[in-house]
Amino acid sequence: MAAATHKERTLIAAIGDEDTVTGLLLAGIGDIDIHQRPNFLVVDAKTTQEQIEETFTAFTKRKDIAIILINQHVAEVIRGILDEYNAAFPTVLEIPSKDHPYDPSKDSVLKRVQLLFGD
Amino acid sequence: MNEVFFNVDAGYLEGIVRGYRDGLITAPQYLNLTQCETMDDLKLQLATTDYASFLQNEPSPLATSTLSARCTEALVAEFQYMQQNAAEPISKFLDYITYGYMIDNVILLITGTLHERDTHDLLEKCHPLGFFDTMPALCVATTVQDLYSTVLVDSPLAGYFRECLSAEDLNELNIEIIRNTLYKAYLEDFYSYCQTLGEPTASVMAELLNFEADRRTVNITINSFGTELSKDERAKLYPRLGNMYPEAQTKLARVDDMDQVKAILEQYSEYKSMLIGVSMNVSSSSSGGNNAELSLEDRFFAREVQLNKDSFEQQFHFGVFYSWLRLKEQEIRNIVWIAECISQQQKDKINNYTAIY
Amino acid sequence: MAAVRDNVFPTRMNLTVTKARLKGAQTGHSLLKRKSEALTTRFRVIVRKIEDAKLKMGKVMQNASFSLAEVAYITGDISYQVRESAKRATFKVSAKQENVSGVLLPAFEPDMQAGSQFELTGLGRGGQQIQKARAVYIKAVETLVELASLQTAFVILDEVIKLTNRRVNAIEYVIIPRIENTISYINSELDEQDREEFYRLKKIQGKKKDRAAAAAAAQNELDELAKLSIQDGNLHSEIGLSEDQSAARNILAEQVDEDIIF
Repeated sequence: MAAATHKERTLIAAIGDEDTVTGLLLAGIGDIDIHQRPNFLVVDAKTTQEQIEETFTAFTKRKDIAIILINQHVAEVIRGILDEYNAAFPTVLEIPSKDHPYDPSKDSVLKRVQLLFGD
Repeated sequence: MNEVFFNVDAGYLEGIVRGYRDGLITAPQYLNLTQCETMDDLKLQLATTDYASFLQNEPSPLATSTLSARCTEALVAEFQYMQQNAAEPISKFLDYITYGYMIDNVILLITGTLHERDTHDLLEKCHPLGFFDTMPALCVATTVQDLYSTVLVDSPLAGYFRECLSAEDLNELNIEIIRNTLYKAYLEDFYSYCQTLGEPTASVMAELLNFEADRRTVNITINSFGTELSKDERAKLYPRLGNMYPEAQTKLARVDDMDQVKAILEQYSEYKSMLIGVSMNVSSSSSGGNNAELSLEDRFFAREVQLNKDSFEQQFHFGVFYSWLRLKEQEIRNIVWIAECISQQQKDKINNYTAIY
Repeated sequence: MAAVRDNVFPTRMNLTVTKARLKGAQTGHSLLKRKSEALTTRFRVIVRKIEDAKLKMGKVMQNASFSLAEVAYITGDISYQVRESAKRATFKVSAKQENVSGVLLPAFEPDMQAGSQFELTGLGRGGQQIQKARAVYIKAVETLVELASLQTAFVILDEVIKLTNRRVNAIEYVIIPRIENTISYINSELDEQDREEFYRLKKIQGKKKDRAAAAAAAQNELDELAKLSIQDGNLHSEIGLSEDQSAARNILAEQVDEDIIF
């Protein structure tokens, strides 16, 4: 948690459906690093759970990513990993997608909030 | 003289296309569609249209992307039916129509190849109307050079490439500039081809293509404000036809803001009326604001629909095929728009579609 | 349960030291408790903000994806193009830190770079809509970044609060009782020592008394013997003895005088 470690964390990564990722890329978050690794993953009907898990884990291990945005319906698929993940960096943020409105009760972080306050 | 022999080759297809035109969704049907509360309702309403057979096997809930894909399938099926039944010169004319889609596909493939994507995946994303025979061979091409020398030279687009681009350009130029250069070459070629078909096709198509060219000219002008595109490059992308060629184009190539564009457009009676409601929009869109007003693009769509509808008023020409395709595309856009509005609960904007009939 | 205590020698020295430690532990406890309370207050504020921001995000993202639908209406599908033209991020975040009761909370800030990879996208058609959608999405991402910093703060605070609470509880339920146990142990040991000492003194006194009693008894015996000899009729010896006694008395008197002179 030293100052040096999160000074280099500048990227926002995204895992989500086509529209969400397109929009986020349009905003300019897209980045392809020197190893040709993108910082985003488009999840469609053909994407397997392993692929999502792998990408997510890879993102969490990268040192240049500060925030991981993930569509809530994608998050549902890898809920197990998400619930276990509790490091401060990179921050995982669940975002709604076009076809799946936001449901606060499924959010890992909000679940923890509720757990803490016991209601 | 054309009228006498027209029905020999084209009579059947013209009948078909006019039949298709009657299958376009009408105003009362649109009204029903906009009343839908859920995607299932929408699906039910669409069951009374030509799209029924393409949608009936889709499981609920229906995603807008699926809807759009199925509707395009319907369009493609109808178009291909016509292509299969076409004889010269209609078949050639229909081929010309597909070149526009080919350009998009080729651009897609070039982009993919530049980034070393799997070309098999790319083929799925290509527009089915823009398929050409050598396209599957693209899976072999791994570099842009390969792509250029093995695939593109055999495609119907080869001529456009030869005229304006070298293999090196594919690597260096911005992909959007390539796309627009190709499209420009395509429009010019299509225009000159239509002129060889004789009256009345020539005049009907001239009007449609002139409009298309003008629209591109205006769009390129507006969209190049504040970008790295220089004014000379901008001028090079203008198609060399249209009502605004060449005089207004040279002026447009020099302008820097919307007001100047407006001043130029006002000299043309057909565009003057379009600008009336847009004046609001100009100031707000330049400041990046959100506007509920119709944008210039919407006006262009409305105008395009009007022109295409007009082309059905005449008989014995090929313009109806082009017009039908454009109208059908607009219809799919409308349906998808309505579907998006429903699925995203933005009902207040649902009426922003461009009605056809 | 046997009371846990430090392994110290029960000396007065250690008692003083241990008492000082107890004082230190109590001060530390109240300090940590106050820190934990300050953090918790902050934490609750953040949690409330997170809940608000999450709901707001729902709306913002909905708007944003709708603007993309507008683009799709005009331009068609641009997603592939956009995805492939991504090279270097122009929208980044920079982290700055905020100090809450000694805890460094990172806060992300949007870090926009001029220029866009997409300015020519939709050149022929729909470029305006694309730029509009881009503006909407940039706003949306800004909201998301804000939310992300809140959430990071949440996770870190959560951890720090747990840590602090653990310490508070450790001091309250383990360290302080242990020190108190040690103190009472030392006290009891010292008391025990006192009692032992007292007992020892008593015992010595008793022994002395016994010895004195024994001496007295021996004297008595001697007297008895003397009496017996008197009974035998030895008058001389009795006189001599009494003379001795009077002489002894004189000596005693003289000593007393000497004492006075001193």
